[in-house]
Amino acid sequence: MITYQNIHKAFDLPVLSGVDFRVETGEMFALFGPSGTGKSVLLKTTIGLMAPDRGDVVIDGISVFGGGRGAVQAVREKVGYVFQNSALFDSLDVLDNVTMGLPEDELARLSRADAGRRVWDALEIVNLEPREVLAKIPSELSGGMKKRVGIARAIVGRPDILLWDEPTTGLDPVNTAAVERLIKRLSDELEVTSLLVTHDVEGGLDMCDRVAMLDGGTLRFCGTPEEFRACPDPVVQAFVDRAAAEAALDMVSQSYV
Amino acid sequence: MKRRSLLQVLAGAVTQWFAGFGRTAQVTAEHAGQLGLLSWRVAVVIARLKVSTRDIRTQMYVMGVQSLPIVFVTAALSGIVTSQQGGYQLVSSSPSYVLGALVVQSVVLELGPLLTAIVLVGRIGARITAELGTMVVSEQIDAFESLGRDPIAILAAPRVIAGVITMPLLVGFADMIGVTAGMITANIDVKLGPETFLFGARLFWHSWDLFYGFTKAVVFGLTIPLISVHMGLRTKGGAEGVGLTTTQAVMFMILTILILDAMFPPLMLQ
Repeated sequence: MITYQNIHKAFDLPVLSGVDFRVETGEMFALFGPSGTGKSVLLKTTIGLMAPDRGDVVIDGISVFGGGRGAVQAVREKVGYVFQNSALFDSLDVLDNVTMGLPEDELARLSRADAGRRVWDALEIVNLEPREVLAKIPSELSGGMKKRVGIARAIVGRPDILLWDEPTTGLDPVNTAAVERLIKRLSDELEVTSLLVTHDVEGGLDMCDRVAMLDGGTLRFCGTPEEFRACPDPVVQAFVDRAAAEAALDMVSQSYV
Repeated sequence: MKRRSLLQVLAGAVTQWFAGFGRTAQVTAEHAGQLGLLSWRVAVVIARLKVSTRDIRTQMYVMGVQSLPIVFVTAALSGIVTSQQGGYQLVSSSPSYVLGALVVQSVVLELGPLLTAIVLVGRIGARITAELGTMVVSEQIDAFESLGRDPIAILAAPRVIAGVITMPLLVGFADMIGVTAGMITANIDVKLGPETFLFGARLFWHSWDLFYGFTKAVVFGLTIPLISVHMGLRTKGGAEGVGLTTTQAVMFMILTILILDAMFPPLMLQ
């Protein structure tokens, strides 16, 4: 379970102003919001990549910002993080990139063959053919393949929680649908808690058990997809309408490509 | 529009000067603090033996072996020019063997360490800053941390260790090339034979000079990777940010090396 407690963060201007919500164990949770509302900042605070000015994140009883370096390390071992632009290590091949996802102490215990098998399995789970991609470096992969390798790296350590930072950004509709199916399948099969930050509102509403919306640094909505669609709040409605219009535009423009 | 009085103009200028001074002091203190912290973290990971020897070897190859051609050219040219100018100035007024001392002392005390350091700033320092800056803006550093890995142990420490080991080796190589080039030039230019050249060099030689040159090399070898890693990890923004930080890092490294170089004589040659 992930609990966000009164998170405040400002750079030059306030980005997050007292965000409170909880993601239950095993739940698939989507976080929406216009650009610049602090969704990715919130995700980064979850594992201590960014420290809030005030507030705390508690993961399965571990306080990320109240427990020192040991707590941060313990949390990071529980969590797999899928970055927006994959963030694969340029100089390493796919094998080494995915191997990096194994916790250091586990990697030290595993034989080379066992570590290789774990990497192989992770790549198969994300529908990549290991034999074809293992020796490639990131610049030799397509955008969709990079995303999948990034996902393989996040799941190879068998995390309890997966954080997804806009996993479909920059993908064409075909790859977007494929990655969304993959996210849903992984969350079901691996029985992990998933927190998904996305601009793809329709995809998020279809996949997730609960959703929330950030607006102006505060939580504007938190509830089920059905409640979100029926929410009378004009800001939420405007966001849903705009997202639907953008999705329709995407489909139309795609049909001309 | 109202015209301001002379007093108001003066007050404005003084305020601006103080504001500028304050900003510069703040930025300097920020860099000093962050560099101090980085040095401490590098020292801690080295003390805990958390640095991969494979990474150190890779960095030594990049910094050392791949820098040999440019160091060779720079050192040879510095030896040639020193010998030519020394020959022009000395031969008619001093014993010719003094030219040997002049070339050897210039190369070992100053030109070898300094020019090698400047070459490494351009070849290695800029590269490290751009590489790490790109990793910051493409979230690769965040990825290391999210996977429980310490970027200081993986990225910073191997470069710092490689710099400290490689730089004295490169300076030794530069010294040999510079002196040899100077000796050959003296022979061609002012007909000073190698025996006489080396006689002059030995006459004024102190073993301390070699220690002095290598101490400089170690300090520069530590400075270049530390500043370049520090600047790389501070990068903000996209490609423009990487370009800006790399330029700033090169300026910062050259200035620091020249200042450190000026501090050596009063500290070690008294």
